[in-house]
Parts: sequence; C-alpha cells; structure tokens
Amino acid sequence: MSKHVIDALAERFPEAVYDPYVGVGGDDCAFVRRERIVEVCRALKQDLGFDMAPYVTAVDYLGQTPRFEVVYNLYSTKANARVRLRVKVGEGEELPSVTSVWRGANWFERYCFDMYGIPVSGHPDLRRLLTYDEFVGHPLRKDYPLRGRQPLVPEREVHDIFRGPGPATRD
Amino acid sequence: MASPTNGTPTGPEKTDELLAPLPTKRMVLNMGPSHPATHGVTKFLVELDGETVTDLRIDIGFLHRGFEKSCESSTWTQVFPYTDRLNYVSSIMNNVGYALAVEKLCKLDVPERAKYLRVVTSELHRICDHLTLVGAQGLELGAMTIVIFAVEARDLVWDRLTELCGARLTSNYARIGGVARDLPEGWIEKALKTLDRVAEVRDEIDALLSRNRIFADRLRGVGAISRADAIDYGFTGPCLRATGEPYDVRKAQPYLVYDRIDFDVPVGSNGDTFDRFLMRVEELRQSDRIVRQCFQQMAPGEIIVEDFRYALPPKPLVYGTIEGVMAHFKQIMEGIKVPAGEAYSYTEAANGELGFYLVSDGGGRPYKIGLRAPVWPMLTALPQMTKGALLADLVPVYDSINYIAGEVEQ
Amino acid sequence: MSDEKKPQAPAAAPPKPAGPPPPPPPRNPGFVTATVDGREVVVKPGTTVIEAAKSVGIEIPYYCYHKRLSIAANCRMCLVEMSNAPMGKLMPACQMPVAEGVTVKTDTPRVRDQQRAVLEFLLLNHPVDCSICDQAGECKLQDYYMKYDRQPSRLDVPKVAKGKRVQLGPTVTLDQERCILCTRCVRFMREVAKAPQLGVAERGNESFITTFPGQPLDSPYAGNVVDICPVGALTSTDFRFRGRVWFMSSARSVCTGCARGCNTFLDYLNDVTYRYRPRENDAVNQEWMCDFGRVSYKHLNKDRVLVAREGRGAAAAFEGRASAIAAAARALEPHAKAGALGVLLSAAASLEDLLAAATVAKEALAAREVFVAGRADGWQDDFLKRADQNPNRKGVELVAQALGLALRPVADLAAAVGAGKVKAVWAVGAETPDEVVAAKLEAAEVLVVQAVNENHLARHATVLLPGAPHSEADGTFVNFEGRAQRFELAYFPRGDARPHWALAAELGAALGLPYRFASARDVFAALGGRLGAALGDFAWDALPSAGKRFGLVPLAAGTVDGRLAGNRDRVPAETGEDYRRAIARTS
Repeated sequence: MSKHVIDALAERFPEAVYDPYVGVGGDDCAFVRRERIVEVCRALKQDLGFDMAPYVTAVDYLGQTPRFEVVYNLYSTKANARVRLRVKVGEGEELPSVTSVWRGANWFERYCFDMYGIPVSGHPDLRRLLTYDEFVGHPLRKDYPLRGRQPLVPEREVHDIFRGPGPATRD
Repeated sequence: MASPTNGTPTGPEKTDELLAPLPTKRMVLNMGPSHPATHGVTKFLVELDGETVTDLRIDIGFLHRGFEKSCESSTWTQVFPYTDRLNYVSSIMNNVGYALAVEKLCKLDVPERAKYLRVVTSELHRICDHLTLVGAQGLELGAMTIVIFAVEARDLVWDRLTELCGARLTSNYARIGGVARDLPEGWIEKALKTLDRVAEVRDEIDALLSRNRIFADRLRGVGAISRADAIDYGFTGPCLRATGEPYDVRKAQPYLVYDRIDFDVPVGSNGDTFDRFLMRVEELRQSDRIVRQCFQQMAPGEIIVEDFRYALPPKPLVYGTIEGVMAHFKQIMEGIKVPAGEAYSYTEAANGELGFYLVSDGGGRPYKIGLRAPVWPMLTALPQMTKGALLADLVPVYDSINYIAGEVEQ
Repeated sequence: MSDEKKPQAPAAAPPKPAGPPPPPPPRNPGFVTATVDGREVVVKPGTTVIEAAKSVGIEIPYYCYHKRLSIAANCRMCLVEMSNAPMGKLMPACQMPVAEGVTVKTDTPRVRDQQRAVLEFLLLNHPVDCSICDQAGECKLQDYYMKYDRQPSRLDVPKVAKGKRVQLGPTVTLDQERCILCTRCVRFMREVAKAPQLGVAERGNESFITTFPGQPLDSPYAGNVVDICPVGALTSTDFRFRGRVWFMSSARSVCTGCARGCNTFLDYLNDVTYRYRPRENDAVNQEWMCDFGRVSYKHLNKDRVLVAREGRGAAAAFEGRASAIAAAARALEPHAKAGALGVLLSAAASLEDLLAAATVAKEALAAREVFVAGRADGWQDDFLKRADQNPNRKGVELVAQALGLALRPVADLAAAVGAGKVKAVWAVGAETPDEVVAAKLEAAEVLVVQAVNENHLARHATVLLPGAPHSEADGTFVNFEGRAQRFELAYFPRGDARPHWALAAELGAALGLPYRFASARDVFAALGGRLGAALGDFAWDALPSAGKRFGLVPLAAGTVDGRLAGNRDRVPAETGEDYRRAIARTS
C-alpha cells in the first residue's frame, strides 16, 4: 500500500525525493532534499492522506557530510500506512519547518534544535526544549562528551509580572 | 441585607456595584515546577483573565536525564533498565517496546510463550497505568476515595508483577529475544484472583464516577479537542480514541499475539476529558479480557531464543563451560551485535504510541535511540485544550492526558 | 607471452588423456589471478590464500598463522575450499599459495562446519577462565567463538589439567591450560628473537609449551610472545591482573626507552598508563619491541612532579604555575644579561618542546649555546635496542643546528657551574646521565628545572615546574636515523603539569616574547619551518587516521587500534586545551 505512496511521491517530485527503499521490517522509506521537505510533506498530507506526524527525530552521523539527518515518521490514519522520510542536513544548514503542515511537529523540531543544534527556519517558537537557554552545546551530538559538565549560570532576572516575585523592597 | 456587625446600611448604589462586572487584570501565574497537581515537575506559565485561562506556556525538562545519551554509551542490553524509568507506572510496556524495536533490527522472532508473557505483563501494566489515572482523575476533583480504591487494585497487580520480576516499578522484564523469567508456579491462579478483585474495584469506581453528576459536570466539554486537531497534533492512544478516531496499534499493526486475541477498542466522540476518562475505564475491561485469553492460549515452552548471539546462555553453562562463559562475556562486555541499519518500531503503550527509532552501526552499542513518548503530542496541545477553560479545569485536563515526565523529558 | 604458449597446448594434449590439465595461462602476466568468494584477486606469485583474501577484505580466521613467522598450519582454523585441492579436501589457507585460476570459497557449509569443529576441539580442554583471564576482551578464542561457533559444550568428562601459573622467565607467565598449542611463541623465539628458548613437550592432549630445564625465558624480546599469543596462555607478568583491557583506550605513541623509537600503542585508563604494545611499522620495529621498552612506561605514573615549587630544601614552597614561571623569569633574566646562564635541553623531550625552549633561550635569554643532557647509555644489540636511551637526541641536534646554537654536552655545563662561570641554569627536562653531574649542576645559584619526575636535579631546583610526559602531550620524536615520528596525547596532563613547550612558551611570554601557542601543532607550525628539510617529508598531521580521535567513541569502528572499544570517551580535539580539560573532568 504505502509502497505506492513512496512511488507516487518519487514520481511527483523526481528531483526532491531520491533513493526510495524498503527498510528493515518492510518500512517504506525515502530520502528527501532538505529544501523541498515542506513541499513534499504538504503533498503527502493533502493528497496522499498522511495526516499525522507521530515522530520526528534527528541523528548525528559524525564524520559524514552532510552531518545530520532528520527523520520524519509519518502515518496516515485513513490508509493505515506509514512512511519514513529522511532528510540530510549539513552542519549549520537550516531545516525548513514542517510545523505549518502538522502542528505536532512543533516540539519535535524544537527537540532537534535543542539536542542537535539543527536550526529550523520558519518555526513559530524555536527555543530549547529539554535543556535550558544557557546550556552550552548540544548534548546528543556525538562530539558532546558523555561526562561533560556545564558551566554554572547566573540566576535569571525575574521580569516584572503582575504581583510576581520581584525585588525584596516591593511591598 | 443589613450587616449585623457594623450596621452600615447598604444603599441601592452599593448593590449596583456588586452586580457590576469585576474589573480583572491579566495575571501570569507560575504553576510548578513543584506543584502538587503537576505530577512530576512541570512548569506552567498560566495567563489568566480572572479565572479564565487565556494562554498557557509549558516549560519542561526538569526531569531530563539524558536518556538517549546514556543509551548511546551502554550496550543494547543495558538499555532495558533505562527504559524502566520512562513511563515508570507501566515499565514493562517500555521494555517490550524497546525489545521489539531491537528485534526488528535483528530480524529476530521470539518464542511463542515469550510473546504471550509479554502481552500478559504489558496488559497488566496497562491496567496499573489506567488505574493510576482513573484514580487520580477523582483525586484532582477532590474525590480522595477513588484514588485509594485505585491504588489498592494497582498494588495488587504490582504484587503479582513483583512475584514475576522482583520489583514493583522497575521491572526490567523483557530481554532481546524473549523475557527474563517464566511465570512462578501457581501464578496464573493468583493473577486471576487479582484480576477478579481489580474488576470489582474497577466496577465500583465506574459506578461511583461515570454517572456521578458532579464528576461529569466538571469533566464534560472540558479540554475538548476535535478529531482533526488531535490527528494533526499527533495524538495517539486513549486521548485520540476519545475524539472518535479508532486508531490503536494493537489493531492497526498487530504485534506479538494481539491478532489472536479478541478485544474491542473503545472509541469516544467528544474528545473531552470525560471521554478520555471513559476510554480508560473501558480499556481496563479490555485488558482484563486480553490477559484472561492469554492465560487460556498460553502453552509451556521456551521463554527466550536459544541463540548465543542475542540471549545469554543459561547460568549452569556460564559457570560450567567455557563456551557459555565466552558467550556471556562477549554479550555483557561488548554487547550483542545488532546488524547495522535503522528502524522505527512502535507499540501501543498505556497512553498511546510508544516508538523507538534505532540506528545501529553493527556494534555492541546503539548509535542512536530515539524515543517517541506517547504523551509528548498531548502536552503540545495542552495550551489549545485549556484555552478559555477555568484555572480549576487545568488540573483535570492536564491529568487526563496522563503526562509522565519520565518519558517525555527523557 | 601467452600467445606463445597457446598454440602448443592443443598439440600436446591429445596423447595424454589422463592427468591434470595444464595450468591456464596467467590472466595478468607477472601476477596470479584467482577468485575468492566470487571476488577476483590479483596477487604476486607465492602469496598465500589468507593474504590474498585479506587483500579484498575477506577475513579467514586463523590462530597459528603469523605473517612474520614461518607457517605451521597446525591450528586448522583457516581451512577453506579450493578448486585445486586434492580429492576435494579442505586446504589450509595460510599455507596454500594462490594458483592461477583457482576458485576459493571461504563461506560454504563445509567450511563453516569445519571451523565449528576446530573450535569445539580447541575449547574442549580450555579452562573456564574468562573472568580471571587477562586476555579476555582481546582473545581470539572469544572472537571466533562468537563469530563461527556459538554452540554449547558437549564435553561430559573432566578437562585435562596442566600447569596453571608457570613462570617462564622474568617477564612472561604461562598458563598451560589455556594454551591452544599454535606454537607461534616457539617460532617467534626461534626465528625473530634468535633465542630458541621455548619448545613443546609431551604429546597429544598432554603436550604443553615449556622452556628447557634450568633455562628461563630471559631473552630481552620475550615480551613479544605475550602479544602474539592469540589466547590467554602467555601473559605479561607486569600487566597481569592490573586492568581489564576492554575498559582501556589506546593512543598511538612512541616508546621512549631508547633512540630506536619503536611505535607503540599506549594503553591507558583513567589517566594511568598500563602498558605499551608494539604498533606495526615496517621501517622501524616491524611489530616487536624489547622488554626494556615495555616497562619504560612506569615513569609516566610514579614519582611525578605535579605542582610548581619555589625554593630549595626546607625553604621550598608550593606555588601556582604562573607565579613560579614569573619567579623563574625574574631569576633568569639578570644572569642571562650577564652571560652567566646555561640552558640545558633534555634528549628525552619532544621536538616541539625543544623548538619552543630553544627559541626562548635564543630570543629572550640571548643564549648562543645550549647543553644537552639525557639518560645514561645502556646496552645495545643488533636488533632493536640502541645504547642511547633517549628518544630524541637527534632532535636536540637538529633544533640546535636550526637555530644556530652551539650544542655542548652536559659535562661542560657542570664544569662551567663548578668554575663559577655559569650562575643560572634552565633545564628543560631533568634527565641527567648520573647523580654526579646533577650534583655539580645543583651548585648553580638559580636552577630552574622543568621536570616530569622527581629526581636529584628536581629536588634541588630553585624553581621547579611540572612537565608533562609524552602520554600527556602531542609531539614528535626524531629517532637515531633521523626519522621523525609523531605520538599523540592519550590523556590530559595530570595535576598542574604542562608539556615543556607550554612551560617554555609561558616563560618566554614572561620575558616579553610574542609567542603564544595553543597546542603542540601550533608550536610546530610556527617554529618547525626553521628545521628546513632536516625532517624529510615528515608531515605533522600524517599520523594515520588522526580524524578518528574526534568525539565520543563508544563504537567498534572508532578506536585507533581497530579493537572493540570499552568504556572510552574522548573529547573534541578542535577546541582549546583549557576547554577540553574543563569539559573532560567530572569534578
């Protein structure tokens, strides 16, 4: 079933979708060029019924170029089919956000930014997700040491919010 | 309306003042990270207009402990205890999900009995998970009794699982290629008794809450999300099914022995907190059915593959023969060799799709373990679900998605 | 060539219907062409099947075969199917040369079955020792068992018991039960060490490796039998029970025991060096090293100078490195102006250390000559060991020459100090030939010593700076033939120690020189040009596969020596040293 999807996709975007293959356990996978990912995803959602993006993650293939890979695991509730799209992203290259296609991709993209330092362009709220803003480095990169220590950061200044914590002198 | 204390007369103009709308001011409330209602540590920045939630921002990561990084530096087998700590209420489901993912990469088929044991223990843990939530749902609304009922039933199940795994929470039960232990003698009879008692408690809770006016009024229509939105956000599990979408991995892509078992998938219609509650109560019944069927279908047999590449040799062989000790040594010190490749494997955990995206470079340690936590998308949608609700409703809505910090924050 | 032969063949063929067919003409003249597992291999005539297969990436398992030893073909692990085998028998790939047009199959059910059978026999009497065996983790029995056998034991009678801890000589301990009798050690002692001290006694399953009565295994190259032993039978008495190999990491290093500069793997764990293993380099040490070199790692671990010190004897006070360097600069400067300063370079310091120190000596301290010190000479043989027990004497000569400094022996400096002509000494490295010379040097008014180990000179220094040995730095040694060889940092300097080049550069900075170096690579890039063509085609970054050092390496493919990794982590090499140190420390 979803083999058709990959084929249809490859046919429709001959230069954006390449190397389709059947992965371990019969998963249907294909590589997509980074610049065209939003376009491909939109087509997948609107025309081929892939209305859910259950999981988006990234992998750091240190030593390869491009270094990173963002993996989109997509699901169609109507056809009960899955596909996996893999996008190669070089270091420092921007990944277009697919949050406009699936809102669920929002935090997954923040996760990729936080853990791998992949900048996502067009993301509505690109902040660190699991670590804090002052965190140095990106922990899931392969060159981030396992026993790495983070520097101590000064306490954040609390902005004046209504009756929120503030200087001790306030009433 | 004379006041007896100071005798000040209330004129007509005062009455007008009372009836006039309260001038409210936008208020930002910090809820958490250590708030009794946010199970685990989550911080909400709630923007309030009076008591109405106008906006919600979620700050997570207080329980981030580098799950994926730790896994990348341990062997494939050493990952199991880490998975226990993801959803700690239903750890065996995490064990099984991870084992299935590795077995997918290894193209390994596990023995029949191991499959049944995995289903039995998973469903028992699903019962624990749902009991926790159903009980807590009462607790959030002030019905303390319910949670005590639920905890009683849950601990009965945990007692059975303790007899099986040796631990209540951190079960570490599945293995690559099978499970760790077979059932103790007489366990099935005890488990059936436990299930009977759990069913009683469940029905009692159901009777107390499901048609309880106060309870229903507090939950109905609160935190509702449409089917289309839920799919768009990536909802799975009971929260998705509450919106009317019948997706369940056990039915859609059956794994283990779910295709041989007769069970129903409850589907809701409103997608609100009350429906999510009902989904769980019904799933308690279905899990009960599944476990009982498994007990009938199970036959004695091997519980783990007999392949020294993946499964540890039996201990007498390890202590007594050089072949056994070598296989043991290589597996423990270097890890089992998982063929190079990548795979995404997903199972139906208590709260939805639990996915593992694995990349292996052919070595004894995972190159990448990506964890798709079931509750993650529900948490993303929480601002939308609570917008316009009362602050008091935030707590039951947040509870109904069953946010488990252990798995979302990794 | 083939054209000449072809017409003859049909003419000669008809009268002889029986007998083997004539060998086919070579497809690649001058080479032999064969097929291994469907892949074509073209090799020189006489190449064995095992090497031919290796050249196209096909691994044939073996125990007794060793490419630098004669072929025994007694382990039977490498049996393969060959199309020219008599009666279709399996042939030992280590012994059979590749013949023209032969088809070799290494992965058929028959071969697999044979491998399994051989392993079962080898393991039959093998003790259940992995948990207490030093070879565990780098044992070929374990590797091949997991790869080719994986069957449980069928033995139901007691195993044959033999000698469990036989002290063969000062460096080697033998466990005869673990031995698989591949006789690599016997052949090594006979053929390479030229000291046939080992032999096989008894017969059948009772046979064992042993020395001759009353003759210990005392050849200075005996330690190599530990390395070539594929199982845990021969173990190093020094390394035995000291560390688990799968937890250790390896750095590519160079032995500092003598001027030969044998290439080594330096195995370390938690900032402690545990052993050297020889690393293959055909031009220098093939893959051997001497027992003297093997234990020369010990000074990396013990009696180290780890903190800077000011003042002599009872007045000595521990100082921060920066203040000690400032004090050294203050003390040296007036003597340098007065021409009463002697600069002593150690022949055990690396080329980068010497370049930095000599530059500082020349440009900041106006030195016109430097003195060279080093460890005393030792024994020499005609195989590897050199009498000069310093790894970089040639490097000192090259540096002095490059910078136009006269090079004089340390005895001259001792005499000058004794005569009162030299009042201040700056010693880069505290190695001296003997205590007598050191005792003469300590008479100097100012004695600034950069020392790795506590010794006589270090104890009497007025300012003592902690230096880092080669395990804790990157650098280069130039061996006695003038061959420059790089070694790499294994772990970060202990305590407050820094490589000599860093100390020299800091001293230079305190004296007003503009040099600032972040790494040994910087030193070589900035100053190495002065050496001109003296190093030949040496390239600093040429240490093979240096890129593998990046990042966390918990992976099989990521280790420098190709072995499986244990609990190893590395930090990025691209960032600055201080950052790396900070991020690598747990507390």
